Amino acid sequence: MKLIRTLLAVIFATIFTSTASAQLTWEKKEVEVHPSVGDQDAVAHFAYQNTGDKVVHIGDVETSCGCTVATLEKKDVAPGEKGEIKATLKIGDRMGVQQKTIRVQTDEAVNPVTVLTLKAVVPQLLEISPRFVRWGQGEPLDVKTIVVKVGAEFPVTKLNVTSSDPTMETAVEEGATPKEFKINVRPKEGGRPFSATLTIKPDYPVEAPKTYYASAAVVNSAVKK
Amino acid sequence: MPRVFVREIPLLLALALLPAIGQAFRYRERISWDAPLRAGEETTVAQAQSWGESTLWVDARPEEEFEREHVPGAVLLNEDRWNELLPTMLAAWSPEKRVVVYCSSKGCGASREVARRLREEAQLKDVFVLEGGWEAWLGKRK
Repeated sequence: MKLIRTLLAVIFATIFTSTASAQLTWEKKEVEVHPSVGDQDAVAHFAYQNTGDKVVHIGDVETSCGCTVATLEKKDVAPGEKGEIKATLKIGDRMGVQQKTIRVQTDEAVNPVTVLTLKAVVPQLLEISPRFVRWGQGEPLDVKTIVVKVGAEFPVTKLNVTSSDPTMETAVEEGATPKEFKINVRPKEGGRPFSATLTIKPDYPVEAPKTYYASAAVVNSAVKK
Repeated sequence: MPRVFVREIPLLLALALLPAIGQAFRYRERISWDAPLRAGEETTVAQAQSWGESTLWVDARPEEEFEREHVPGAVLLNEDRWNELLPTMLAAWSPEKRVVVYCSSKGCGASREVARRLREEAQLKDVFVLEGGWEAWLGKRK
């Protein structure tokens, strides 16, 4: 009987202690965004509400990457109050699925650290493979091909390719499918090491044209396979 | 404490230790500090410095950090301006070079991502990530 009374006391004490506390409840801890081609940033909003009965103080907010900035409206959240943390990922030349975390530290007694996740699906206008073709010492100066694949949802019909060095020749032809191009590259001479930058310009998007680059080089030693 | 617990504690500890010993034996090469570093994985400042001029340092940090200070001779290559910076980095590369990519300890996912893209997009061999990043270099520089 004494044991049962003790257990009941512990249970009730736990219940009452846990309800008298500060607590941030998040609408979503993982937010997926889909920026468009040409967007500079991918932005996610993490909404919260203080569902406790004490003020929550938000302390450190740390992102997993210098490319992501987290901004908050307020540091002290009163009971019942709502707010949000905005996470902004600078897209730059990133491609594919980008997952960045935001670590939020508060003075909550239970769960003082919350990890939020920004998932940005960055569209890939062109996939260029490989980005670098090279000929080693003594290697025949045969044509090497760079394959350019266009993202399914983009209406690219033409590529304009120029070489920074006229000794490195380029020629563009259509690939195996309408969404593919081939850039055939060949050095006119191999007697000296040199490199060239290939500038690749698709004809889309017209309003915000994007430029890509590949490299081609004759190197002065054997290329590792 | 009851005698039964005193007898059982060493037995429980021994049972818990058995799988740990098994794992340590099975993966002894991976956890050994003598295990050779494989291309595509991490390298240390000391090892990268021992490679001398065959090391091509690549800085994956934001440009303003690179401008402030960087490993002497390093080239900047980050995902902010990958398209524009890659040709310059590749112009500095040659087949005998070992590429060592570093970033700040805060964002060291950046160096891993840059290393991955160099291996996949530029098809480079011998690409390493600097263990401890820029802070490790600061601590060890001569």
